[in-house]
Amino acid sequence: MRRALLGVGLLALAWAPAAAGQPEIELGFENLLYRTARTRLNRDNLLGLDPSEDLLRGGLGVKQTWGSARLVAKGYLERRIGSQDRTEATLRQAYLQYSFGDGLTLRAGKQRIAWGSGFAWNPTNRLEPAKNPLNTGLEQAGSWAVRMDVVPASWVGLILVAARDQAAAADLPLETQGRVRRIGAARARFLVWNTDLALVLSGGAGGRSLVGLDLGRSLGGSVSVHLEGATYRGAELVPARADRRFFRLAAGLLYLRGESQSLSLEYFWNSEGYDGQAMAAYRRNLDDTYAAAQDPRLPPPARQAALDAYRVAAALPFSGGLGLRRHYLHGSWTRSSRDSRWTGAARAVVGLADGGLAFTPGLGFAPRGDLTLQLDALVLLGPQDSEFRLAPIRSGLQTRIRLLF
Amino acid sequence: MSNLLACLLLAMAPDAAAIVKRADRAVLGETTTYTVRMTVQRPGKRDRVVEMRGFKKGDEQGLVRYTTPPKERGTAYLRSGENTWLYLPSAAKVVRVGAKQNFGGGDFSNGDIFRLSLIKDYDPTLLGEEAMSGEACFKLELRAKNRSVAYDRVLYWVRTDGSFFPVRAEYYTISGKRLKWLSLGEVGKLGGRLRPTVLAMENALEAGAKTELRFLAIEDEAKLDDRLFTPSALEKGE
Repeated sequence: MRRALLGVGLLALAWAPAAAGQPEIELGFENLLYRTARTRLNRDNLLGLDPSEDLLRGGLGVKQTWGSARLVAKGYLERRIGSQDRTEATLRQAYLQYSFGDGLTLRAGKQRIAWGSGFAWNPTNRLEPAKNPLNTGLEQAGSWAVRMDVVPASWVGLILVAARDQAAAADLPLETQGRVRRIGAARARFLVWNTDLALVLSGGAGGRSLVGLDLGRSLGGSVSVHLEGATYRGAELVPARADRRFFRLAAGLLYLRGESQSLSLEYFWNSEGYDGQAMAAYRRNLDDTYAAAQDPRLPPPARQAALDAYRVAAALPFSGGLGLRRHYLHGSWTRSSRDSRWTGAARAVVGLADGGLAFTPGLGFAPRGDLTLQLDALVLLGPQDSEFRLAPIRSGLQTRIRLLF
Repeated sequence: MSNLLACLLLAMAPDAAAIVKRADRAVLGETTTYTVRMTVQRPGKRDRVVEMRGFKKGDEQGLVRYTTPPKERGTAYLRSGENTWLYLPSAAKVVRVGAKQNFGGGDFSNGDIFRLSLIKDYDPTLLGEEAMSGEACFKLELRAKNRSVAYDRVLYWVRTDGSFFPVRAEYYTISGKRLKWLSLGEVGKLGGRLRPTVLAMENALEAGAKTELRFLAIEDEAKLDDRLFTPSALEKGE
């Protein structure tokens, strides 16, 4: 699919009219530095992490328009310093878009879909990798997809997407392998009584078929509220529980004061998430598979199988990006200085079931209109057995610099 | 005698609603595209300068996209009726926002930017004539038709020379406190006709705080499809 999409893109570029707009170019530098930990998910450092893991990235982004056509390409070259010294390239986005007037737009390539009114969680979106569970402010990579936007009238819009992605969290020092999903989805948006209403249907290989509903409304003043929910049969977390119907719901509000201050709160309910009993069973499974992997009485193939099972279970919290438990709260606050040069931010995800907390305070500085610097700290707090404290990461420091032309 | 003359002149003047209607179209036409530079001034702080491309259709639909500086490029606001959305390019996301907040960190509210027309939201009364900024003006009082609009009362000065260019507007709260005042000046030819090209909003809550909108290009009577003013179009980008 990737080759076909790139081929179509290159062909279209060859035919692009000469009247091109000014290209927009972005140079970036990112450094994600983590302090790792030996936890239940990383017994005896089975993941082989160094005490300090460093992801060093140089990025390049280009956006070019030719009339109704647009090309966007963004990616980075990453050098991992720590347990693995390796360099690899990653595309965040690479797509070609063409608009036929205001009523029809086609887009093909690696792209953000980003639908759903939820901020930290989007229950109706199974089309792209979930947000980084530990820092929802990081830039996400897109999915390989073909997308068609049809707007027959101003009160209705339809989006059809065919996408392929791997539902694993990015930007972490450990390897995460999510399922490969090939999903087809449709989203119909309506504006009814000053309320955004969207209906979503999606399904395909590697993911559950779902029906979703998305609502958004301004309350007057500076506050808007949203509610995004989905239902589907069969769990995405193990065990599969194929005959049961599950629900996910994200409900929240946004207070925005111009562009100088924002406050958002969002509650997330995941009915297939683990309750206390299931979480205890998950921890027992980790203990049992680890013990089996270390048991000299077992033959080597059995020990290897146990080790593989342990690794799969240990990666579970990072394979879907949604968390393991049922109830979460996300809060985000930003405030800019009056000249927009400085921005302070604080984000937090709280596991309501166990009191775990992923806290991300940040500071942004824009000395010029074409240069931004962002520094985020990541701290995982809460009871020892809480979900976030199980992560093999104790803390992190994320530095991002962007130079724009 | 002079009172009688004043009454006679007032009786000959266009009615208040007609004056406000003409003034509403003095800066931007009914359906318009424009380029505007916004400068936000705060005492002791560096000015914030943003350039935007705007699209307006009637009094209900407006779209503004930031074009410079590069770090703000792509950010866009959409207003359709009572609804306002913000597009955040870094998250590739359309977010619904409240309508009454200030626009772009300056002294204009979203309503000021997207709804330059006053006649739909206010009942005007002609108070008389008064010189303002060196111009002979009609002085009008506008009372909000309902509580959903940003200001309860507006005092409005519009030139009497037949151009109907607004010169100044003062915005008051329900308690009678003056919140902000808008000065319109630098009449020049843009988009084929004369019009005020600079709008400066000052804030009573902060001495020295001021936001200036300087129109750089305007095209009236542009052909704009209603579908341009939808969240789908906002997401699609320019």
